[in-house]
Amino acid sequence: MATKKAARKSLSLAPILDLNEANALHGKLMGLRGNALVIDASAVERVGALCVQVLMAGAKSWEEDKQSFTFAKVSDAFTKTTQLIGVNIDHLMAKEI
Amino acid sequence: MDMNEIKEIFFQECEEQLAELESGLLRLNDGDRDPETVNAVFRAVHSIKGGAGAFGLDDLVSFAHVFETTLDCVRSNKLEPTQEVLKVMLKSADVLADLTNVARDGGSVDQARSAQLIRELEALAKGEAPPAASAAEPAAPKAVAAKPAPVAKAAPVEPVVNEHGFAPVAFSFDDFGGDEDEAVSDLPAYDIVFKPKSELYTKGNEATLLLRDLSRLGEMSIHCNMDSLPPLDQMDPEAAYFSWKVSIKTDKGEDAVRSVFEFAEWDCDLEVTAMETGEASESASDDLPMQPVPFDLSALDGDLDVPLGVVEEEEQIAAAQEAVAAAETASNVVQMAGNASRAAASEKSAAAAAAAQNNAQQASSAAAPTIRVDLDRVDRLINLVGELVINQAMLSQSVIENDSNGVSSINMGLEELQQLTREIQDSVMAIRAQPVKPVFQRMARTVREIADITGKSVRLVTEGENTEVDKTVIDKLAEPLTHMIRNAVDHGLEMPEKRLAAGKSAEGTVKLTAKHRSGRIVIELSDDGAGINREKVRQKAIDNDLIAADANLSDEEIDNLIFHAGFSTADKVSDLSGRGVGMDVVKRSIQALGGRINISSKPGHGSVFTMSLPLTLAVLDGMVVTVAGQTLVVPLTAIVETLQPDAAAIHSFGATQRLISIRNSFCPLVDVGRILNFRATQANPVEGVALLVESEGGGQRALMVDAIQGQRQVVIKSLEANYTHVPGIAAATILGDGRVALILDVDAVVSASRGQSLQLESSLAAAG
Repeated sequence: MATKKAARKSLSLAPILDLNEANALHGKLMGLRGNALVIDASAVERVGALCVQVLMAGAKSWEEDKQSFTFAKVSDAFTKTTQLIGVNIDHLMAKEI
Repeated sequence: MDMNEIKEIFFQECEEQLAELESGLLRLNDGDRDPETVNAVFRAVHSIKGGAGAFGLDDLVSFAHVFETTLDCVRSNKLEPTQEVLKVMLKSADVLADLTNVARDGGSVDQARSAQLIRELEALAKGEAPPAASAAEPAAPKAVAAKPAPVAKAAPVEPVVNEHGFAPVAFSFDDFGGDEDEAVSDLPAYDIVFKPKSELYTKGNEATLLLRDLSRLGEMSIHCNMDSLPPLDQMDPEAAYFSWKVSIKTDKGEDAVRSVFEFAEWDCDLEVTAMETGEASESASDDLPMQPVPFDLSALDGDLDVPLGVVEEEEQIAAAQEAVAAAETASNVVQMAGNASRAAASEKSAAAAAAAQNNAQQASSAAAPTIRVDLDRVDRLINLVGELVINQAMLSQSVIENDSNGVSSINMGLEELQQLTREIQDSVMAIRAQPVKPVFQRMARTVREIADITGKSVRLVTEGENTEVDKTVIDKLAEPLTHMIRNAVDHGLEMPEKRLAAGKSAEGTVKLTAKHRSGRIVIELSDDGAGINREKVRQKAIDNDLIAADANLSDEEIDNLIFHAGFSTADKVSDLSGRGVGMDVVKRSIQALGGRINISSKPGHGSVFTMSLPLTLAVLDGMVVTVAGQTLVVPLTAIVETLQPDAAAIHSFGATQRLISIRNSFCPLVDVGRILNFRATQANPVEGVALLVESEGGGQRALMVDAIQGQRQVVIKSLEANYTHVPGIAAATILGDGRVALILDVDAVVSASRGQSLQLESSLAAAG
C-alpha cells in the first residue's frame, strides 16, 4: 500500500508473496516508479521466487532511475528465503544513520 | 462434506499420528535405531503440523514446527537420540497431544510447560544439551553435524560483487562447533544447475521449496544467476528468470538429490554432477560467488508445505509401509486442501480445494481397508442384536412350551437360528472390540509425568497391547489404571538411592500386561518396588477402626485392606496419590465394569495388581436362578461350583451366621434372598442350592438360592440408565418369557455378608 509522501514512497508487502501476488506486486511497483521507495517486508510470512524476481527487477529499475530502493524492515521468513535462494539484499537494507 | 467434517477427520488422524509418534519414540527409547522408526515419528509430527496449518491452529503448528525441526536433526543424524533427548521428545509428544485436544475441545494448555519444551527442543536442534540434561550429560548431544561449512571457508572471504551489486553473505557458524569437520568434508559432493521454466511456477511448484528440500539433504551453498532478469517494465511477473547453481555435500546419494526435483523435472533444466571429494566447493567457488545456505531454515517451514509430493517426497521414499505413506498422503491432501482454501479468494481455488478434499477421502480409504463408523450406529446395532437374542429366546421358549417332545422341525430350525444369532452377536461384538494399546500408551505418559514429579526413574514395560476388549471397557479402564499407575510409582517404587541400597537398579520398572483368560481380559500391573508394608497397612487399618487391634489377618487380607474406603498409607498427602481418591475408588470402578481386582505383594520385590474384566458390557453368560420367587442371574464367571447342601454339612456360627463344610473347609453360607431382603427370615439351606462363588479378595462364599433354572447368555440392560442403582444388583436383563430378571452383583452381596450393609432401599422390591 503506497502512502503519499513528498518524493519518497513506501510499500508494505503482503504476508503471502506467492504466484498470485507476483502480478499484483509488479503492478504496485510499476505504479511507484520514479520515486524513492522504502519497502516494509516485516509482515512477510512466505515469499516465492517469482516475487523475489519482481523485487530484484524493481531494484534494478530503481537503480537505473537513480532512485533509492530500500528495505526498511524485513521478517525472518523473508530474510531466510532470500538467503536460501542465494539472493543478497544486504545492500538494499536501509542503513541507520 | 463441510469444513467441520474435514476437521473432525483431521483430529481422528491426529489421534492415530500421536499414537504412532508415541510408540515410535518409545521404540527409540528402547534402543531401536531403525531409520524407518525415526521417519515414522517425523512423519507423524509433520502430518499433524500440516493439517493444523490448514485449519489455522497456530499454537499447534508452531509447537509441531519446533518439534519437527528437532526430529529432523535426528532423522538426518545430526542429533543422537539419547535417553535425554528422547525424554524431551516424549514430553513434547505429550504437549502436542494436549495442544491437539485443546484445538478440538477447547480449554487451555500449560503455556509455561509448552514454552519450556520449545526452548529445550530448540536447544537440542542447535546441538546444545537440553537444559535439564546439561548437568548430567554435558557431552551427550554432540549433536549437530551441520557444522560449518567448509564451503563457507572456501568461498571468498572478500565480498565478490556481481554486476547487480549482489555480494555473498559472510556467515558465522561458530555456534555450531568451530572447526571444519573431517566427516563433513569427506561427504560426497554434488554440483547442481537448476533452471526453472515458467511452467514450474504456473503449475503451482515453487523453486524456494525445492531449494529448501535440497538444503535439508546436507550442507549447501548456492549462487543465484540473475543475468536474464529484465528491468521491471519488461518483465513478465509469472515468468522464470532466476536460475541457480548449487553445491551440496550429502551422504544421501545422487538419487536423493534428484528426487527433490522429481515432481518438477519436466518444468526445469536440471544437471546434477557428482564431484570428487573436496572438489565441489573449490570448483564452485572458482567460478561463482557461492553463498552458504543457513542451517536453520525453520522460519520457512510454517507455510511452505503446499505442493504435495515435493516436500513429502523424501519421507515417502523412506516409508516402508505403504499404508502409513498413504495415510500421510491423505492428510497432506487435506492439508493442501486447507491451505488452498485459505489462500484462495477465487472460485477456481475453492474448486481445487474441494477436489483435493475428495482426493483426501479417497486416499484415506485406500490407506487401509477400514471404515470409520459412528459409535452410535454400532451401539444401535448391538442393541438391536440384543433384542434379537431376547426375541429368539422368547420364541424358543414358547416353542418348547407348545412342543413337549421337542422333535418338531420348528424346534430344529430354532436351534439353528439360535446358533446364527450367537454368531451375529459375536461378530457385532467384534466390531466394538479394540486393542487396549491406546490406554496403555496413555499410561506411558502418566508414568513419565509422575516419575518427573517424584524424581524417580521409572521404566514402563507393556505387554499384550493388542489384546482386544470392548470399547466401553477400554474407555472406562483409563481412569482406574491411571490411578493405579500413580500409586505404583508414587508409593510402590522406592527412590533411586533406596533401590541401589537394596541391590536393585536405580530405575524402577512398572509392567502392564493384558491377556485373554477364559473369556475375560486380565490386566496385570506389577512393580518391582518395595511391596506393601503390611505392618504399616495393618496399623493404619487399626487406627482407622477398620479392623480390631487383635484381628488375625492373613497377608492377603492385609494387602486387600488398601481397597477400603479412605485408606491411604502415604504419610503425607502428595500431589499424585493420596488426594482422597483411594484404591477403593479404583476397586469400585473395576467392579462397575463387572470386573474384579486382586493384589499380591512380596516385601522387597514389589506388588502385582490383577484385574479381571469382562470382554464386553453388552452380554454375559449367566446362571439363571430362583430366589424367593424372583428370577436372578448370577454371572457365570463368578461361580466356582454348585452344590446341593447336605444337612450334615451346615453348621451354625454365632446367632445368624451359618457355615457350610466343603471338602474339609468351612465356607460362609449366604442366603441371597435374605441379603436382598426378598424374605424376612433365612431359608432352609437344605431345600436350596449353594453356588460357590469367589469374591474379589479371593475368599469363597456359598450363595444360597432356591433353585437353578439353567445357564444362558443374557443381554445386559443397565439399571442405572433405565431405573436407578439398586444395591446388590449389577444390572438387569430380559428373559425369554419377557420377564425382567436382575443380575446379581456377587461382590456386593459377598461384602454385605461380611456385615457391610447393602443399604437396601425400599425400591428394591419394586425393581424385582
